[in-house]
Amino acid sequence: MIKIIAIKDLKLFFSDRKSVIITFILPILLITLFAFAFGGIGQSDENKKIDLLICDLDKSSASKDLNKALDSIKGIHLISTTLEKASNAVRKGKYVAVLVLHKGYEKAINTGNEIPLELKYDQSRAIEVGMLQAVLMEKIMQKVSKKVVQKNIEGFLDKEFAGMTPNMKKRILDKTTSNENGASKNVVAIKMTAVLKEDKEAAPNYGLIQAVAGTSIMMLLFSIAEIGGGLLDEKEGGTLKRLLYSPLKSREILFGKMSAALIIALLQLIVMFGFAWLAFGLPIFNDLFSLIILIISVAFAVASFGIFLVSIAKTRKQLSGLSSMIILTMSAIGGSMIPLFAMPSIMQKIAVISVNYWGIQGFYDIFARHLSFTELLPRIFVLLCIGIVMSIISLRLFKRNLLKMMN
Amino acid sequence: MHHQNKIKMIKVSNLSKTFGDFKALNNINLEVKEGEIFGLLGPNGAGKSTFINCMSTLLKADSGTIFLNGIDLNKHPNKIKKLIGIVPQEISLYENFSAFDNLLFFGKLYGIDKKTLIKSIEEILLLIGLENRKNDLIKTYSGGMKRRINIAAALLHKPKILLMDEPTVGVDPQSRNQIFSVIENLNKKGMTIIYTTHYMEEVERLCDTIAIMDAGNIIAKGSLTALQKNSNIKELLKIKFETITNQQFHDFKNQFDFNILQKDCEISMQCTIEKELNNILSYIINNHLKIVDIDRKKANLETIFLQLTGKKLRD
Repeated sequence: MIKIIAIKDLKLFFSDRKSVIITFILPILLITLFAFAFGGIGQSDENKKIDLLICDLDKSSASKDLNKALDSIKGIHLISTTLEKASNAVRKGKYVAVLVLHKGYEKAINTGNEIPLELKYDQSRAIEVGMLQAVLMEKIMQKVSKKVVQKNIEGFLDKEFAGMTPNMKKRILDKTTSNENGASKNVVAIKMTAVLKEDKEAAPNYGLIQAVAGTSIMMLLFSIAEIGGGLLDEKEGGTLKRLLYSPLKSREILFGKMSAALIIALLQLIVMFGFAWLAFGLPIFNDLFSLIILIISVAFAVASFGIFLVSIAKTRKQLSGLSSMIILTMSAIGGSMIPLFAMPSIMQKIAVISVNYWGIQGFYDIFARHLSFTELLPRIFVLLCIGIVMSIISLRLFKRNLLKMMN
Repeated sequence: MHHQNKIKMIKVSNLSKTFGDFKALNNINLEVKEGEIFGLLGPNGAGKSTFINCMSTLLKADSGTIFLNGIDLNKHPNKIKKLIGIVPQEISLYENFSAFDNLLFFGKLYGIDKKTLIKSIEEILLLIGLENRKNDLIKTYSGGMKRRINIAAALLHKPKILLMDEPTVGVDPQSRNQIFSVIENLNKKGMTIIYTTHYMEEVERLCDTIAIMDAGNIIAKGSLTALQKNSNIKELLKIKFETITNQQFHDFKNQFDFNILQKDCEISMQCTIEKELNNILSYIINNHLKIVDIDRKKANLETIFLQLTGKKLRD
């Protein structure tokens, strides 16, 4: 009897395509995504590289020599640019850091003075910066420190032991600088400078920003898909038919539903950011205007996306499977689940296809990078475009599906 | 009800609609006069709901025309929407709204101003007998009460034509009678009604004119009397005598050329009563047979439908 029931249930299970997809395909999809996201698979050496901007203000043979040495590092892709462009790009989150070889670099090496090297970095990408710093230090040490130590000791010997023979001096220098555990360690330091606006130097709480932005957008997508699902409930319950009997146009029905979704999305984001302010001190009032505009843009993009999901689903059941799959995928790609900076560069490039990416990065722009409203406009523009495109597609699909609803 | 001089409220000509290979409506032609209750009778899948959906502008017919109150539906769908009220087959209401809120919402869709709408809602609630329950949530209503609100939602904009798609499905006899009263009241006020159903007794009670649909075709049309007349189905006449001997029954049977059966003192005759009644009564009087009871069973829609399609209405 147990066998009969088990076989029946297995037959039922495998005949339900949605259950099979959620049980097998969705986890496989997520495993693949996370594996990509953590750089576990499919990454060529080129894709694993971190983009590093370099700005050579010294333009000496020594600085060119370092440039060449750094370019040979497998994990780094070096891009030369001007200081202004580089600082802006890092501040806007386009690149993780810029290594500045200040004027006097060669002279400092030759005189054994402090080396004028500076790494201007995006504080919101701490993990990448840490990795970068480690790789840079190792190479720069190899390239520079031996010479600096030599010059330092040479200077000391010349000053304190003026009568020393060149042969004696050479032997001392060889002995001291060839010692792996010796004085050559840590003689060169890179000045680390976080790239922030000068008037807002307070260190942002990146973990908090990631938690609030990432979670709120992902949850928003789920709740909007649920609200939009009300349209399918209306279809299944028959009230949609009654709406269509009335003089209402189909676009009015769809956009009416979207307006409700938009209002709820706005409320949800306001409550989430309000909570983050009250409970964790997220500085929402630093640039309230930008925050409000961004929240409206995110809410619009997400509401449109939610309605789009509803437009492609035919039944409530289909919607729940579809929304779980698409929203989880987008959240994994877009940085809701894993911070974007922890992902390989290829994943960071793919991330732009998700609503989550534009929303989360927008919140980073406000709370971490302290961009001005004007600088925030491109992200807002993209979010609004997502909203408009999704709305147009949804309307077309909704109109096209109307006939099917009536059959 | 006499509609001879009334204007044509609905005129449907050569209406056809197919879904893939399935012909849902096949060259439908019909006319409905103002103030008439027009019954569309047919089994499930006959094409009744497709017809209503075409009439409601929801579905575009492949060919043919529909004129409502002289307005071409294809050319002026928005004018038509204001002219008609539709009672869908399913209960299309928001379960978590009260009856009043449901009606207020659906009324607003027609752009009725709030004051007029509230007055209209009060009137309709009174008409359907649910004015005391107006603030209760729909989910607390019985099936019959929901059906009545479902009708009310179609009346808010005071339509001239009411399309009712099987409005009594799944309701108890008491609620059904209440719904019939509502329909009759609306009709008395001059509303033209198209009523689809697969319950022949509903059509028999309510409708002035009936069209019988099957497989997308109208297979018969007319008043119930006309349908009965036109069909060749004979009525059943039962006469109970005080006494009747075997010889008397035998003589009686030999006198007529239709089926006559005897059961005790009762004889049943399957005949066209209007044609045969005088002859039968004359024979009885002349032969001094004493009648105790007479029962006349007319041919009904079920039998007509059976004869026309070869299948039962609720198959």
